[in-house]
Amino acid sequence: MEYVSPFDERAREPIAPAQRPQDLRGATIALLDINKARGNEFLDRIEEHLRERGATTQRYVKPAFSRPAPEELVDEIAASADLVVEALAD
Amino acid sequence: MAVASDLTLDRVDGAATRFADVVAGVRAVAVFVHADCPTSVLALRQLAAAGADVVVVAEEDVLGAARLGRKTGVRGVPVLAQPAPHDLSRELDVTTVPSAVVFDNGVEVDRVVGWDAAAYERLLGVALPGEPRTKPGCGSRWTEPEESGGLDELEDMFSRGWSDGLPVVPPTRERVDAMLGSRDPQRSLGRIPPAHGEATLERIAACAVLAGCRPAYFPVVVAAVEAVLDPAFNAHGLAVTTQPAGVALVVNGPARDRIGLNSGMGVLGPGTRANATIGRALRLVLTLTGGAAPGTLDRSTLGSPLKFGLCIAEAEETSPWEPFHVERGYDANTSTVTAIAADAPLSISEHRSRTPEELAATLGWAAASTWSPFWWPMDDTSLFVVCPEHAAMFREVGWSKVRVRQHIYDEVVRPAGELKRGEATPQVWASADDEPIHKWTTPEKIELIVAGGEAGRFSAVLGPCDGMGTKPITKEISWST
Repeated sequence: MEYVSPFDERAREPIAPAQRPQDLRGATIALLDINKARGNEFLDRIEEHLRERGATTQRYVKPAFSRPAPEELVDEIAASADLVVEALAD
Repeated sequence: MAVASDLTLDRVDGAATRFADVVAGVRAVAVFVHADCPTSVLALRQLAAAGADVVVVAEEDVLGAARLGRKTGVRGVPVLAQPAPHDLSRELDVTTVPSAVVFDNGVEVDRVVGWDAAAYERLLGVALPGEPRTKPGCGSRWTEPEESGGLDELEDMFSRGWSDGLPVVPPTRERVDAMLGSRDPQRSLGRIPPAHGEATLERIAACAVLAGCRPAYFPVVVAAVEAVLDPAFNAHGLAVTTQPAGVALVVNGPARDRIGLNSGMGVLGPGTRANATIGRALRLVLTLTGGAAPGTLDRSTLGSPLKFGLCIAEAEETSPWEPFHVERGYDANTSTVTAIAADAPLSISEHRSRTPEELAATLGWAAASTWSPFWWPMDDTSLFVVCPEHAAMFREVGWSKVRVRQHIYDEVVRPAGELKRGEATPQVWASADDEPIHKWTTPEKIELIVAGGEAGRFSAVLGPCDGMGTKPITKEISWST
């Protein structure tokens, strides 16, 4: 029996995660606050730890937590940072 | 002991491969599995977690094999599809899954039947610490007696994941074509978040068939998909939020009678095919094509019965006010569907009030604890479904919808000091204790429609998806094919 799939199989293919660096020294790390209450507190603490380990940090905030980050923001982070840590707090 | 077969199988990455080539070399372990066998799933999960070097042979078609691989986290090893009649399993006499068949230079040298972690550890040289350590296998598919066609087909729909948990109508080519009519199957309405599946009319039609729609309902389903794809609706946020939010569809205009939508008794369901299946079809588009399946990309903490779908028609003929779509700028003879992101309906009993002021106050105060009891003001849409008896009371005294809305807004107000508890808004915390705070930011956040049975004084309110920044979106229903 031939069925018509409701799925878009292309959208369901897993995407391989990017390579993880072995060392944080000298790395530039973007800290992205999704803009929920107290996400900044979480990132403040993460930032301290990362700096202790020799990383440089940059802070970013999404305009709205309920929507995907604007492409310009994603592009900016991708162009300038080696890694990104995204904070979701509630 | 068998020799590796010359049979050619499809790999899930697209290449067709001779089985003998895949298991050539000094040592290869082929693990035979199928998706309906819990022991197979257990074995694949443990092997995948350990990064074991195996060849997976799934007694499935290519899509089924890919699904099984994804579900169990298998990565970086060959996954071969072996659809019915399962010739490879027959040839190698694999009667139980999982079975690990070990080849040395193309000749079988060992076999493990069922799940036996210690035996697999010995074969593969990896640690498999998960529990249970042993579990009996299931019958290989070719050994199972054929089941009756109808039941088997419905079970097949579940195994494909083409369901919301309830049985579906199988989307055969014939049924989908009937749903599409002369429309272009490949025309896309856009990509459905969060997984960004392309919403071709053919896929939408498949969802409408699965949901149980008649072809006559399809224009409403298409308009509903267009509505949720409007960026202002924020389908992405709604799909992935931990909120128990869903989508309420409101249909106005001639479409209601044309396809037999219920706007009267029991309007919020269940019982009427058009209402039930149109709401369900939209949900299936969001969850199947869009990838927002509960527990995967849909992160809703509780879920909601609303997430099976909700489609209601307004009782325009009973309403004292202009129809909802006319209020939103459409001609009365145009058919529209409006998508509203909403919480499940909360019923409001009001049998005793004798004045419109009392009635409006009851409706409004019922909504005072929606979203969260101390979260004032709310900045997204609340939808009131006003029953005909309540609507008649407003009609008798000539209250316009604007006046009802304003009265609800004015009535539901509390001093900030009473709201400074738990989940309160920054506005409340920043206000003096005697500052009056309304439940809504503006009266326009209060939407009212009329629907329900002619007898009984029960209205309802559907609370908002606060913080989502979502707006109700209305789209015209196009009957042309």
